[in-house]
Amino acid sequence: MGIRAKILLGFLILATMLFLAGAWSIYELRTVGTSVQALLDDNYKSISAARKMTDALERQDSAILLLLSGNWKAGREIIQSADASFQQGFDIARNNVTIPGETAYVDEIEKAYKNFKDLWVRPIAGTGHEKKLDWYFQQVHHAFLEVKLAVERLMALNDRVMYQTATDLKNRAHRAVMPGVVAIIAALVFALVFNYFVNYYLVSPIIKVTKAIQRFFETGVPIEVKIETKDEMHRLATSLQQLMTQSQKREAV
Amino acid sequence: MRPHIIFRYTGFILLFNAVFLLISALVSAFYSDSALLPLLYSAIIAVLFGAFPLIYVPSAKDISNKEGFIIVVSSWLLSCLVGVIPYVLWGGEFNLTNAWFESVSGFTTTGSSVLTNVEALPFGLLFWRSATHWIGGIGIIIFALSVLPSMGRAGMILYRTEMSPLAMENFHYRTKKTLQMLVIVYVGLTLAETMGLLICGMNGFDAVTHAFATIATGGFSPKNMSIAHYQSLSMEIVVMVFMMLSGIHFGLMFAAFRGRASELWRSSVVRYYLIALATGVGVVALNIHHHPYTSWAESLRYAVFQVISLGTSTGFATTDSAIWPPFAQLVMIFFTLQCACSGSTSGGIKVDRIVIFWKGLVRRITMTRHPHAVITPKIDGAAIDSDMLEASFLYITLYIGIVFISSVILTALGVDILSAFSGSAATMGNVGPGFGTVGSMSNFSHIPDAGKWVLTLTMLLGRLEIFGLILFVTGRSWK
Repeated sequence: MGIRAKILLGFLILATMLFLAGAWSIYELRTVGTSVQALLDDNYKSISAARKMTDALERQDSAILLLLSGNWKAGREIIQSADASFQQGFDIARNNVTIPGETAYVDEIEKAYKNFKDLWVRPIAGTGHEKKLDWYFQQVHHAFLEVKLAVERLMALNDRVMYQTATDLKNRAHRAVMPGVVAIIAALVFALVFNYFVNYYLVSPIIKVTKAIQRFFETGVPIEVKIETKDEMHRLATSLQQLMTQSQKREAV
Repeated sequence: MRPHIIFRYTGFILLFNAVFLLISALVSAFYSDSALLPLLYSAIIAVLFGAFPLIYVPSAKDISNKEGFIIVVSSWLLSCLVGVIPYVLWGGEFNLTNAWFESVSGFTTTGSSVLTNVEALPFGLLFWRSATHWIGGIGIIIFALSVLPSMGRAGMILYRTEMSPLAMENFHYRTKKTLQMLVIVYVGLTLAETMGLLICGMNGFDAVTHAFATIATGGFSPKNMSIAHYQSLSMEIVVMVFMMLSGIHFGLMFAAFRGRASELWRSSVVRYYLIALATGVGVVALNIHHHPYTSWAESLRYAVFQVISLGTSTGFATTDSAIWPPFAQLVMIFFTLQCACSGSTSGGIKVDRIVIFWKGLVRRITMTRHPHAVITPKIDGAAIDSDMLEASFLYITLYIGIVFISSVILTALGVDILSAFSGSAATMGNVGPGFGTVGSMSNFSHIPDAGKWVLTLTMLLGRLEIFGLILFVTGRSWK
């Protein structure tokens, strides 16, 4: 292999190491970006919907207590608005099923909420249920806790997955940085090795040849220069050797 | 000293490592796991660093002995460095110290781990971890020389430098033939164990990785609970048989493969090795019966496996021997120090040196009684010269000294005395687990970082049989 090719190869290797590390880092950083978006889209949306449902449930529970105390108008207003709010949250959760097994959690909420709603959808104020706290504690509050628990389970599932995704993100970020670190260290070491080879196989032979020519001028005796490689440097040394020998012969003639 | 020649030959070793990194990357691609890019990038770096000197430096058919040993030691150190790259790139539990520990432990076939959850690693990285054992098992240089085209006299010098003088005793062939024979035995045993484990019901991946670790007498398992994970007597028997075979001189194993099995028993070293193991199993089984095992069958089953595992420097486990009574633990520590035969993949002081030590001791006692007697100690009819006697005594003394110094440093760093001593002995002997907090069901993760670096140094000293590394770090060797 010629000198030009050898030097080019050295730089190509350096460039390859840095390019690959750079490309990989960019890939990992892009993945981190996508993962953050996925985290927000998939898990955070569901958690937010679950919070909305819990909040709506709390308002419904308060509204039922108002109805029990005979405050029909305020109770109905709050319960209907909370029901609409719960439905909104539930629809978001239903349309955002992204985790394996999440559908079962959503179905459980739907079933529990239906049981809860069946208890308050019929009139309470002005009926036999009014002022009946036993009925509230034995049936309504129990049904309310069932729905709330189902919603909390959905939230916990999304919390867990969000934690896992965040841990993955940490690893991804590590993987985005490390190729750069490794490439820089490898490139530095490679530069030292490359420098040694350039010195040993290119600079040293030039110095040897120069010294041989100077010695030839001083003594008139051709000096043999040993070049280990078979490249242009070897050909140069051989040609100079021939030149010195011929010059010596001419002088002798 | 010609540094460019050292670059050229270590380049071969880097390329050899790159092949295994690429195979691990293929495994990773097959399982679609997260180790693909770390392994691929590491392989590319190894190829670039390995191939570059081959292009620049013309081949040299002759190298000096000094260059030979620097190539051998550099190859080990460079391989360990290459082994670090996929770990640090992947991340998880691997910081620089942990990655270096795991890599050195892999290549030196120690099998000590700093990982608290091995099963969290992707398949590609688990394969690479076991592959480091397999590459280091018969020696990186020996392995590379046997598969690379002939390097002439240079190859012979490298072979002689890598191979312990004790190990050469039972190889009666030319260098090339010996190398071929070593690889035949090594690959043959690995294939046979893989088949055995598959027949016992182990899955393909686990069978291959366990076979790599057994034949190299390494001890890395892809399972947190090591062999105990499977709770299978048949698998334990297969692993035990191959651990024991891997502890026998490969020259004798080759003779046995060719139908001359009697040569095994004719060797007094092998006889001592087998009798010592049997005695160890007997006394340990007696001691652990009732503490903690209730039945004789259980006591014997666990004693056989653990004694063979430590006595061959493998380090697999089927139970937590750290809870055994102190007597059983001390017997096991003796096996951790002694290990198996030279010329095998085992580490430690080696049975051969123990036999030489006893012969030397008997000679000294006889000479004290009869000062004018001329006594030549012999092993299997071959005389042991005074050089070998002195070298063996010196080696054992230095070995114990290094274990002691390492233990002192570890205790200074806050490690308890049992863990420090047994951990140092286990890493120096390339065994793997110790006792105390570094027992067979624990790991080295809690050891302070400085302690981990000390232990990796003892692993390298043990693998390079002390003198190699000492010569390497002595400035005069480089002139």
